[in-house]
Amino acid sequence: MSFTIATTVDEALVALGAGARPIAGGTDLVVGARHGKAALPGDLVAIDRIDELGGVELDSAGVRVGALMSHAELMTDPVIVGSYTAIADASALVGSPSTRHVGTLGGNVMNGSPAMDTGAPLTVLGATAELRSVTGSRTVSLDELWAGPGRTTADLGELLVALHLPPAQDRCGSAYVRLEYRRAMEIAVVGAAAAVTLAADGTIASAAVALAAVAPTILSVDGVDQALVGCTPADAGPVVAALASEQAAPISDLRASDRYRRHCIGVMAKRAVDAAARRADGESIAVPVNRSLGIGAA
Amino acid sequence: MAIAEVPRFVRADGPDKVTGSGRYAADINLTGQLVAKFRYAGVSHARITKLDTSAASAMPGVFAVLTAADVPDVIYSPVVPDRRLFAKDVVRFEGELVAAVAAVDAATAQAAVDAIVVEYEDLPIVDDLEAAMADGSPLVHQDWESYAVTGDTVQRPNVASFSSIEKGDVDTAMASADHVVTSRYVADGCHALPIEPRAVVAQWEGEKVTIWTSTQVPFDARAGVCETLQMPASKVRVIVPHLGGGFGGKCGFHFEAHVAALAKAARRPVKLVFSRQEEMVAPDRRREGMIVDITSGVKADGTLVARTGWIAIDNGAYTADAAFFPQLAAMHVAGPYAMEAVKVEASLVYTNHQPSGSVRAPTAPQACWALESHTDELAAVVGMDPVEFRRANIVDEGVEGAAGQVYGEIGLRRCLDAAVGASAYGDDLPDDEAVGVAISWWPSFPGPSGAYIKIDSDGSGMIITGAQECGTGSVMTLRMLAAKELGMEPEDFQLVYQDTSAAPYDTGATGSQTLLNNGRAVVEGAREVAAQLRDLAADQLEAAPDDIVLASGKAHVSGSPDKAVSIVELAGIAAEGEMLIGKGSGTPPEYPSVSAMCVGDQGLAGWAGPQFACHAVHVRLDRETGVVRVLDVSAAHDSGTIINPVAAHGQVEGGIMMGVGQALTEGTQYGDDAKQRNTGLLEYKLQTAADAPTIRTEFIEIPDPNAGPYGAKGLAEAPNVPTAAAIANGVAKLVGTPVRQLPMTAERVWMTSEGMSS
Ligand SMILES: Cc1cc2nc3c(=O)[nH]c(=O)nc-3n(C[C@H](O)[C@H](O)[C@H](O)COP(=O)(O)OP(=O)(O)OC[C@H]3O[C@@H](n4cnc5c(N)ncnc54)[C@H](O)[C@@H]3O)c2cc1C
Repeated sequence: MSFTIATTVDEALVALGAGARPIAGGTDLVVGARHGKAALPGDLVAIDRIDELGGVELDSAGVRVGALMSHAELMTDPVIVGSYTAIADASALVGSPSTRHVGTLGGNVMNGSPAMDTGAPLTVLGATAELRSVTGSRTVSLDELWAGPGRTTADLGELLVALHLPPAQDRCGSAYVRLEYRRAMEIAVVGAAAAVTLAADGTIASAAVALAAVAPTILSVDGVDQALVGCTPADAGPVVAALASEQAAPISDLRASDRYRRHCIGVMAKRAVDAAARRADGESIAVPVNRSLGIGAA
Repeated sequence: MAIAEVPRFVRADGPDKVTGSGRYAADINLTGQLVAKFRYAGVSHARITKLDTSAASAMPGVFAVLTAADVPDVIYSPVVPDRRLFAKDVVRFEGELVAAVAAVDAATAQAAVDAIVVEYEDLPIVDDLEAAMADGSPLVHQDWESYAVTGDTVQRPNVASFSSIEKGDVDTAMASADHVVTSRYVADGCHALPIEPRAVVAQWEGEKVTIWTSTQVPFDARAGVCETLQMPASKVRVIVPHLGGGFGGKCGFHFEAHVAALAKAARRPVKLVFSRQEEMVAPDRRREGMIVDITSGVKADGTLVARTGWIAIDNGAYTADAAFFPQLAAMHVAGPYAMEAVKVEASLVYTNHQPSGSVRAPTAPQACWALESHTDELAAVVGMDPVEFRRANIVDEGVEGAAGQVYGEIGLRRCLDAAVGASAYGDDLPDDEAVGVAISWWPSFPGPSGAYIKIDSDGSGMIITGAQECGTGSVMTLRMLAAKELGMEPEDFQLVYQDTSAAPYDTGATGSQTLLNNGRAVVEGAREVAAQLRDLAADQLEAAPDDIVLASGKAHVSGSPDKAVSIVELAGIAAEGEMLIGKGSGTPPEYPSVSAMCVGDQGLAGWAGPQFACHAVHVRLDRETGVVRVLDVSAAHDSGTIINPVAAHGQVEGGIMMGVGQALTEGTQYGDDAKQRNTGLLEYKLQTAADAPTIRTEFIEIPDPNAGPYGAKGLAEAPNVPTAAAIANGVAKLVGTPVRQLPMTAERVWMTSEGMSS
């Protein structure tokens, strides 16, 4: 049993190489252990004091979002709120104020829950993950990263250092909405993110939609771009709802039946596209969309 | 009409609780203390074929392992004795105790619990209320007939208790109706969920045991220990440190005897602290699931003429205090309406679920939800506005209610007017919003209760009371009552309470009764001290005792405020001779007589101090998903005189939030194995602060002469009663038809609006 507090990425990588597991905010790891989901790893390396893992930086390739960015930071960060709004929508819905201050983006992504709130936004925004180990670094798509519920393809020695987002386009907007039964301490029953770029005439120039909590991992909806390009946002609603409901592979559990999830994911996808298109058109819809548009329990 | 003009009254326990300096049962640590852990059945119905604790007992660090064989073979319970401390031969619900361990630390105790070998032979699961009552159903208690059950019972399989209310000739009255409407409503169970999972610490000194426990009812807990461990009350002391909420979940006797028995066997103090999951499944205090069938006959003009009702209540595996539930439920399905004839029958049905017990207004929110939803259906059938329909049919002064009680001056009509008037009822609302209205009633529970009052030599007062504070603030209100009698300030009084060896008996924080009963006791005790003070002051001021007025910390001669002596001074004089000590136990109000015929009468058809309420709830429905949000609540309550407005508003607000949870998100979900599947706060969804609606409360203050001090009635449970019902009526307006299951989860609302059944 060991507990290492790393202050640099290199220190953390050494510890990981020696078999320790990283702990950022601990809101998944510790709470999960207490619930008996999985025992707390014997060797832990705390990464929450590593400055290099924080921050949102603009670079030539777009934006680098440090893995340690907390949900509370993400939901108010001007770059995220301004250009990658779906992420802010998602972070603003996470748990409670304390969960948001402690929980991190990296933890959310690496925990690999199919119900993770930032997963669908990152997917529609085209994010890639930068993984580093003592032997080097690599960048993978999120599709490659998530392997199943609670599983990633990252090696045990690899640390997620940052997520990279492509540069924001003009007349592009994004949004994340989720079905929730109450207004705090909720887990997505289902959730949907959309990124939409509008053409000059107000029709959809490109679109992407991804879904949370309806498949073993975050699900990118196929055929959205082809189906929506040239549609007005209003016409796009029923189309995207049908695509989402069709492609979803939800389960029945204590939160909802598969039938209800399948129905609601269509509703969420439609609303996400609508909100994303309105943002693309310059409308300011406050974060999170759930509250400002009266969705779900809002 | 508040009796003290104190705008914000500081609770005596408030600063302790807010700053963290207060101590709860789990904070108590004694020298040599061991940790208790329980072995639960883990299955819902089975015969024990093997129980071997030898490996556990042999483990180092294990000081005691107990099973049914190690404690007196006592079958206990308040009315229907049907359970033992530990399962003997048969387990009947998943949370039943099979064994208990005391060990040096939690890990050792858990390892010992795991090392106990228990083998079972499955018995058939009984978990469907209707099937359980059918002839030939497997029985939860095979040998029930041999139990020492008193009172009327009805010989149906698995029925633990039965009650009916019957007035007039219901067949004839029903035949005279122009419309007859029949509805079925089905409510899931739910939980009290106090924020503090319970803790019990027991320590023996010779033949005496002291038990620190998180109970709402210390005297009841003591009685349970005495009954099961066969000890005299003089040898058992129960102390409650601060209590982290109860909501009924900590009423009754629970685990005090198990921990005391462990401590005795181990010869060491023993402490039990529950996890959240244990708090959910082990106590016999789940709010009961219920099936309600109601049929009502109305005339074309909207006059209600007759009602029949059939109620099945999920008792769970053992009868905690639920034996009286049938009559309460029957009263709530009859409801605060006038009608010619009524016949409601209610059965408490054994199942292999966790036992039910009094959670804040037992049976009432579910029964009220069914009745008030049905009432909106009745209004619709005669084409009347639901509020008008209620105005035409509710009980009022001089009117005979369903059980034949004739009411004095009551505030129900004024509650209806006030709550509806304060709401957006009748306004033009967006098409996804509506206001639902429900009315309700709830009895006050008169009972014996005692307190001592003393004033020490320095003039400081002390109230030594049997009453228990579970967060309602009513114990704090006792200080206001004593202060008023003695011309002092509430802050001049300390409270000594929650200790069975210090104070006279009180029923505890149960049945909204503290102010009603202990309030009278405190007033009576304070009046004794006041008389002493007047005598002393009369001597000092050379006046007649009857002319002495106690006010502002002084005793003065009536009409001459300057001819005065301070109470501090009088206290100093008294300390040298006959001390300032008073006692009170009040005379409980009487239960009114009723004319209805009640089979299995449980004494709850005639209500002393009946409380009335109306809630008007503004809801918004997300039509595509079925998610309902409560936007605001207008509440009006007749709880008689309001003594402490700050605490009274708190009760209404808290009761409403609990009601919103029961209405929308909180419900037990059971598997086919009769085990609860949502036993954590992740999947059992309470309402959060972020969900709280705006709440406006108006009190209709009509002092009730047959109730508590100054005409106060109970209040703590009443606000819980009509909330789910009012939400339901708002939702039904939007969906076009009632959602017939409780909680009205988003999925159920969606299915109802899609015409699907679940
Ligand atoms: C009360 C409560 C409410 C919640 N509500 C929500 C919600 O609404 N939506 C939601 O999506 N989640 C929710 N969560 C889950 C959790 O808070 C989030 O997933 C959070 O983002 C996790 O971040 P963390 O830093 O706390 O992760 P940790 O618990 O520290 O780590 C989670 C996992 O990721 C690994 N890990 C962490 N950082 C890295 C890294 N940089 N590289 C490699 N591996 C890493 C850890 O080893 C661990 O396996 C909630 C949790 C709680 C307790």
